[in-house]
Amino acid sequence: MAIAILRRLAGAAPAPAFPAIGAGMRAAADDLFLDGRLIRADSIRHARILLVAGPVREADQDDIRRLHDQMLHPRATLWWKSNPVRDFAEPATCDEDDPVAAIEAIHRALIEGARDSEPDILPNEPPNPWRGKGDYGQGGEGMMGGTPYGRPMAMTDDDLRDGLALDAYTAPFGPFLPMLPPGLKLSVTLQGDVIQTAKLLRPPSAQAEAYDGTVTALRALGRFLPILGLEAHAVRCLEAARSLSAGKPIELAKIRQFLFWSGALAAIPSGIGMVEDTDVRMRVERWLAALDESPTGGLDGSATMSPLKPARLVDLLRGREWSEAILIVNSFDTDTLISLAPVEAEDAETEGRAREDGIRMDHEGHGTHAHGATGT
Amino acid sequence: MALEGLAGALVIAFVAASIATVIRLAPSGSAESLTEPQKTPFLGGGAPDTHAWQRYHIRYYPMTLLFIAFEMEMMFMYPWAVVFVEEGGKAMMEMGMFLAILSVGIVYGWREGIFRWQ
Repeated sequence: MAIAILRRLAGAAPAPAFPAIGAGMRAAADDLFLDGRLIRADSIRHARILLVAGPVREADQDDIRRLHDQMLHPRATLWWKSNPVRDFAEPATCDEDDPVAAIEAIHRALIEGARDSEPDILPNEPPNPWRGKGDYGQGGEGMMGGTPYGRPMAMTDDDLRDGLALDAYTAPFGPFLPMLPPGLKLSVTLQGDVIQTAKLLRPPSAQAEAYDGTVTALRALGRFLPILGLEAHAVRCLEAARSLSAGKPIELAKIRQFLFWSGALAAIPSGIGMVEDTDVRMRVERWLAALDESPTGGLDGSATMSPLKPARLVDLLRGREWSEAILIVNSFDTDTLISLAPVEAEDAETEGRAREDGIRMDHEGHGTHAHGATGT
Repeated sequence: MALEGLAGALVIAFVAASIATVIRLAPSGSAESLTEPQKTPFLGGGAPDTHAWQRYHIRYYPMTLLFIAFEMEMMFMYPWAVVFVEEGGKAMMEMGMFLAILSVGIVYGWREGIFRWQ
């Protein structure tokens, strides 16, 4: 009795969904989560429903399968204007513009037990066998030997800042990490929270930018502000962008005023992500300026949309702390980011160049560190 | 007296039974029930190549050392000041020894560049 009531209450609660966003669906997904009946889960572990929005690239299919298996039970997947990936048994699809009702129905059915939790797709075994190996069952011999818990230990590498040789952690980030643009997958080597090297594995998926410069600026701010911890301002920007797209009048000056006094600009370190003499803070200032101008020609197209061939995203990230790197990545619109991220160039030749630049990077690393210390 | 003992035993038995019930009925969200994909960290789809067990440099550690050196000094100096007049020279000697030991830490920190503004 009591359990039945609790179950009904849980079913009526907002549905936690994790969006895995494909090409052209970013703005639609952002708008979707303005609905109070949904909760945007920042991690797949907090989600009940994996919402795959838009077409999934061939290369991203394995990542979708892994995300699915990382969800806790009971779980379900909804393919919204998407092509279900192979191995998903009886996929639920939705081609409507507004999938909230479908998500709610699936969530309620899951919680009330009317719908079975989806089974695993990937095998339930560690990447390498380790149990029972070694003197203490740690998976191998010695400190660095073997594969405890199925994965080898991180190897030492010189720190960019002072050459201290500690363990460098290399992991792929993306393509569906909430703080990165959808589709962008980077292989990042970290020393603590400082990025030693970054390598581009997959460029971000193409997104249709709004024709209206003000809407583009509002959406960009809506994605950038949560990184600074200003979620309420972000929601305000996204709601304004949605209203403006629908042709409703909004008070842009008021939003601009709010953002100005929020301290967002002061929270961005100066001089990071320098491309064509503009850093992250200047790009955010440009978005704010776009809120002041006329709706049709808000953003200066030549400044933000031009292909930036000489600069590369991975070079901008090297030597930066993780928080700065995320600010840098999110300060570009998708088209600019794609032009900054030529995936073909990421080959052995690039690796060689990175090694040649090693000494120069050492100096830069010191500079960064010194700057960080005075800044905090 | 026997009644009090009985009451105590009953309380202990009740608490033990409650804990046992909670443990028994609790949903088994332990690491045992997680599958291998669920055990891997959430990286937005990718799987890490290496174990996340690693050594990295805690950059604030010299600051911590300096803080503890001066904080411990104060911790001892307040009570010492209260008894200093009664104890006299003996207390003076003890404080000297204490400060000498602490200043080794401060000198070490100096060598590591704590006082250099970067």
